[in-house]
Amino acid sequence: MASIPTSIHTPLILGEKTPSVVTTDICSALERRPTLSWWIAIAISSSMLLLGLIAVGYQIMTGIGTWGLNNTVGWAFDITNFVFWVGIGHAGTLISAVLFLFRQKWRTSVNRAAEAMTIIAVMCAGIFPLIHMGRPWLAHWMAPYPNTRGPLWINFRSPLVWDFFAISTYFTISFVFWYVGMIPDLATLRDRLKAGWRKTAAGFLSLGWNGSFRTWLHYETVYLLLAGLATPLVISVHTIVSWDFATSVIPGWHTTILPPYFVAGAIFSGMSMVLTLMLIARKTMHLEDYITKQHVGAMCKILIATGGMVAMAYLTEFVTALYSNSQYEQFAFMNRALGPFSWAYWIMVSCNILSPQILWFKAARSNMLVVFMVTIFINIGMWFERFVIIVTSLHRDYLPSNWTSYSPTWIEIATLVGSFGLFLTLFLMFCRFIPVIAMAEVKGVLSHGRRK
Amino acid sequence: MSEVSSKKYWKSLTKRSDGSISLPIAGDEFQSVPETIGADPERASVQPLEVRRRDFLAAAGFAFGSVTLSGCSRAPVEKAIPYLVAPEAIIPGRATYYASTCRACKAGCGLLVKNRDGRAIKLEGNAEHPVSRGGLCAVGQASVLGLYDSNRLQHPLQEGKQATWDAVDGAITRQLDAMRENGATLRLLTGAISSPTKQRVIQEFLKGFAGAKHVTYETLSTAAIQNAHEKTHSQSVLPNYAFEKATVIVGFDADFLGTWISPVAFTAGWAKGRRADIDPKSFSYHAQFESRFSVTGGKADRRVSVTPAQLAQSMNLLASALAKKAGVPFAVESSDTASLDTDFIEGLAAKLWHERGRSLVVCGSQDIDAQVVCNFINHTLENYGTTIDITHTAARQHANDEDIQSLLRELQSGSVDALILDNVDPVYGLPNGQDFAAAISKAGLVVSFADRLTETSEHATYICPDHHYLESWGDVSLGHSFVGFQQPVMRPLFNTRSILESLSKWSHSSSAIVSKKSDQTLVRETWGTSVEWNKAIHDGFAKISEKPATGSAFRANAVKAIPTPQETPGGKLALVLYPKVAMLDGRNASNPWLHEMPDPITKIVWDNYASIAEATATRLGIETSDVVKITLSESSEKAIELPALVQPGQHEEVVAIALGYGHPESARFEKLGPEWLEKKPTLGDNGLVGTNAAKLLTYRNGSLHLSGENVAIEKTHRKHSLACTQDYHNIEIPAALLVPGMDQRRPMVQETTLAAYERDGKLPQHGHAAHHDDLGDLWPKDHPYEGHHWGMAIDLTSCTGCSACVVSCQIENNVPVVGRDEVERKRIMHWLRIDRYYSDSEKEDQPDILHQPVMCQHCDNAPCETVCPVIATAHGDEGLNMQTYNRCVGTRYCANNCPYKVRRFNWFDYAHDDKLANMALNPDITVRTRGVMEKCSFCVQRIEEARIEAKKKGLPIADGDIRPACQQSCPAGSIVFGDMNDPESAVSKLIKSGRHYRMLEEINVKPSVGYLALVRNREEGEDKSHHG
Repeated sequence: MASIPTSIHTPLILGEKTPSVVTTDICSALERRPTLSWWIAIAISSSMLLLGLIAVGYQIMTGIGTWGLNNTVGWAFDITNFVFWVGIGHAGTLISAVLFLFRQKWRTSVNRAAEAMTIIAVMCAGIFPLIHMGRPWLAHWMAPYPNTRGPLWINFRSPLVWDFFAISTYFTISFVFWYVGMIPDLATLRDRLKAGWRKTAAGFLSLGWNGSFRTWLHYETVYLLLAGLATPLVISVHTIVSWDFATSVIPGWHTTILPPYFVAGAIFSGMSMVLTLMLIARKTMHLEDYITKQHVGAMCKILIATGGMVAMAYLTEFVTALYSNSQYEQFAFMNRALGPFSWAYWIMVSCNILSPQILWFKAARSNMLVVFMVTIFINIGMWFERFVIIVTSLHRDYLPSNWTSYSPTWIEIATLVGSFGLFLTLFLMFCRFIPVIAMAEVKGVLSHGRRK
Repeated sequence: MSEVSSKKYWKSLTKRSDGSISLPIAGDEFQSVPETIGADPERASVQPLEVRRRDFLAAAGFAFGSVTLSGCSRAPVEKAIPYLVAPEAIIPGRATYYASTCRACKAGCGLLVKNRDGRAIKLEGNAEHPVSRGGLCAVGQASVLGLYDSNRLQHPLQEGKQATWDAVDGAITRQLDAMRENGATLRLLTGAISSPTKQRVIQEFLKGFAGAKHVTYETLSTAAIQNAHEKTHSQSVLPNYAFEKATVIVGFDADFLGTWISPVAFTAGWAKGRRADIDPKSFSYHAQFESRFSVTGGKADRRVSVTPAQLAQSMNLLASALAKKAGVPFAVESSDTASLDTDFIEGLAAKLWHERGRSLVVCGSQDIDAQVVCNFINHTLENYGTTIDITHTAARQHANDEDIQSLLRELQSGSVDALILDNVDPVYGLPNGQDFAAAISKAGLVVSFADRLTETSEHATYICPDHHYLESWGDVSLGHSFVGFQQPVMRPLFNTRSILESLSKWSHSSSAIVSKKSDQTLVRETWGTSVEWNKAIHDGFAKISEKPATGSAFRANAVKAIPTPQETPGGKLALVLYPKVAMLDGRNASNPWLHEMPDPITKIVWDNYASIAEATATRLGIETSDVVKITLSESSEKAIELPALVQPGQHEEVVAIALGYGHPESARFEKLGPEWLEKKPTLGDNGLVGTNAAKLLTYRNGSLHLSGENVAIEKTHRKHSLACTQDYHNIEIPAALLVPGMDQRRPMVQETTLAAYERDGKLPQHGHAAHHDDLGDLWPKDHPYEGHHWGMAIDLTSCTGCSACVVSCQIENNVPVVGRDEVERKRIMHWLRIDRYYSDSEKEDQPDILHQPVMCQHCDNAPCETVCPVIATAHGDEGLNMQTYNRCVGTRYCANNCPYKVRRFNWFDYAHDDKLANMALNPDITVRTRGVMEKCSFCVQRIEEARIEAKKKGLPIADGDIRPACQQSCPAGSIVFGDMNDPESAVSKLIKSGRHYRMLEEINVKPSVGYLALVRNREEGEDKSHHG
């Protein structure tokens, strides 16, 4: 954070801001009353959440049969949503930890929101392994602890157990990292707010921050260490999630390319979701000076890179299948591309491979509407990628007598809508109560006071 | 704060004086190991609790008051009265077996009824039985539920109201007395009776009435066979057929492996002639001419799809070809044989002629002319006396369709004074059933023995419900000089009475009633000393000495060619009605197990349908599930509407419809299946399961015909989806999804020809089916299988797909019935399914059918075991893959990772509301809750039972001691279970066969279930033409 940007760099923050302007700009959004558009947004998102709650409540009361699953397709929307949300969660850690270690200054404008998004997305993801169980009230049996049931232990060979560990670790580290990064800003809020519960809360949460040199020193050290701790998680979480599939015997799942493929896909989808949210926040919260076209452009470049990796993975799967000389493997991929669910496959290909190609052009990268559309496409495409991997592999496996189809019930669709409702509701709350941009970090990259 | 914290807490005076603070939580507050008081000096010094009088009174008052208050609610009274004298042979928790005879159809197969704590819970085949030889079909298996059917009448009814037996008896005998005196017209209507005692009791009853007549009626009648033998041999008999002795078998629309006469016995006999390893030289050749796809046709070496008209022509052609060889006359009026495969029929005649005396031709037609020609063929082939026995046949009255029609006329004219009905339902089963219903009430006295209110019995003045056959004594003539005995295996559940007792009671005028004969006495009276009673009841059957029946010699002049039936005019289709394996003539319409048993050919449950050929469907623009209207040519009133099904291998000019559906009894399934938002009902638009096709039966030449009429077919605009357990039917994967140059055939079902197998002694290697023994293994070798290693081998050559094992497994393991909608959502719960594939045969329009029973394969490297996060599925040290229901949290990961997809998930809490039906549950097996996974356990309860028995005897478990439910019921003996570690066990020997393979061997999951490849008696190139 100490290096000084030279004048060759385009300024990261526009508008000749002074630190105090930054504080006012960002805090004012929290201090004024919520706008009408916020109220409308939260009304919609909480209705979605309510719908999802009703659906999940009904499903838990009645049984998994309320989903469209069958004897052959045992997972569909549930695990698709799970992998989708875990993937979304990846960008936060990447932006905050990996880019921090690589000294990418532009991350300062987006890291707070990206991390919040990570935590919220992992919360959304965590719901699905719980509710997809036939008996969710026994979910604690997944945790290894001395118990009175024998004691019965968990199966360390099962990837689901490692999933449980990976997700809980990821959530913990991400949350701590996000919180620690927020302490200086919470102190700012504490100092600005009038007496009231918010001031008390900010005071409690800012842990007695006093802005002294020693405080900053400790803070910087902890932040760096946490970044180092979080970085391997970017790789590990989705690698472990991919084991659910890679260690199985089902053609289309049983493939060693899945870990890197999943990690690339996760970063791709996460970055795209960050962009979607940032573009909305930039517009509605008037943060054009903080989230500049330079930021958007940098993220678009990451999209092109990770999108390329994903495309490479799609292609490699076909080559591997062809080379495998296994008719089951070959059929699994022919069936993906040309079988009954080929529409899902081609939605995935066109959204994930074709749509980001427009970002090669600078004009497209600078047009926020184009970028926004592309990110929406990628979000859709990445959801379908998980759907394709899970459902098209399962629905036609080894024995043709077992081949079935799958279609979701309204309960499943409502649950998916509900998870978006939870995501958006929590994100809107985040925008109201926590500075969406890391003020303390942004102040470090201001052009103000530097020699031109 | 400070005030509180400075306060001293002390537990004992010693501690107080020590100054130590022992509260809030003393170290020994929760003592884990109880200690002897006094052992600890500190504890011993504890002072007795000092309680003040007032505190004591307060505490005592509180305790007394609370006990009194809580005692105010009345505790439920549970009466548990121990046996004063414990009954012999009933040990709680231990099953006893009683030999009896199955009466679910007319065949009379041997039963061993499993009784637990005084109730019958499972029917098993009796391996010593001379007819059925150990198997038991699905219908027989499921008949135990009939015992616990809540629709059964629980007491006699008089004009629809509950009555006592005395009242009913009094009223009936008074009326009968009057009739005896004035010679009234009395008609007794029963099914075809094969019980000698019942015949005797009926004769005795009818003796007193001058104008009495006994009328028999069956929808699936064998009258034509008996009448034809009357013509050709002067004997009205239903012959015994010995399929095991036949080396060439030709069937003409006789589904002898599925529904015809005695399928269990025939399957056992037929399977004996299909042993490719033990006896390849006498491997039979089986050709089947048929108009629809039957179980029997599916197993034929050559299946010829014909119209009913062509069937007759083929029989004529075969008869004339054989007559030519034998040098006897057989005149066929010149008929058009252009549409027939004359070369094949000539060749078949040559084959039959070569094997004369060792061949068998059977015909399932209701047409006497056809049966006469069939007799002529068998006579010419010298089969009488070898494969066909007419000397020691079952004493079985034949149902005469003419009689029921004349009864109807009598009823309509009002000339019948009394009508006594056995458990028959002509209103449902006759094409003019409604006329029958309208005419019944014209009879003065109508008495029914029906066990429930049916369309027929609801018109009766008196209903005197008969026992279920498991509650009553009886006998059945089996042929071969054997008689089968039926004994009650439990006390009657309801206030019912055996028909034998009722009739015997009414046989005498009311004043003459001196003693009441029980059904047991009546049966014993029939046999007297001719059978050793105790042994006969113990065995379930007895050999009797009887003189061989003699008829006249073959009357050649009775033989004439089958008249050429009417041609099917353009735009019309020839109608074929048939009984389905499970539903037969509709007698099983109240049985949910049989409704949910997938049809062996179509794999459809809970419906009947109009099967049409693909070409016909294309021509008429009909797709599967389109509702079509089938109109019988003569009258537009004779029309039914039901969904269409495109059936491979069906003749283009034929439409086939199953009988036995649309039964009023099926209305009971209205609420069947789990209740939830998107639930669709099990019943169709008519409020019933399927549609009754009895309307389309035709009465012609003195008998009711199932086929031969022409019908118009018309598409309606409605749809009715059919619930099928299998979506994809071919063993080949779709050509559009094929990688060029790859084998499109998946090797899970392997087949070969007899010629190739005799030469090589092993299977042709299909691409991936090669053995992979040399593959390295990443799995730890942590299961040494030092004791037993259970395994199973299934012979696909003899497996007919009859589904007896499916139902047997369902009953044994308390597998729930889920209803039509759930099956359509592919959530059937059966632990054992039979996969059915079509494959191209030498002729494109006549595909082969392959059946493969698939249950949990109990893999040694089970993919399900590694993925379960909570170890709910684990590997037993004897190779069993074990599922622990109460450990399962329901992630379904194991089911996803099962390459065979044999795991079943409890998507809902399946209802067990019918308390009566719950009595059929197996108490050895948990009823699973929702959200847990279940699957085949190799009947682990039977393994454990055998282990306990062996241990008690101090002997090792012998091969054959353990027979899982599927193996036990299999009529063909296709399923063999045993210890793979024992080289002498039957299963080990089968594993060494050259036909043995394991499904998906190449993925190295090492299943414990193996299959013996399907062998068809064909020339080597004969079924490979499609590969070319």
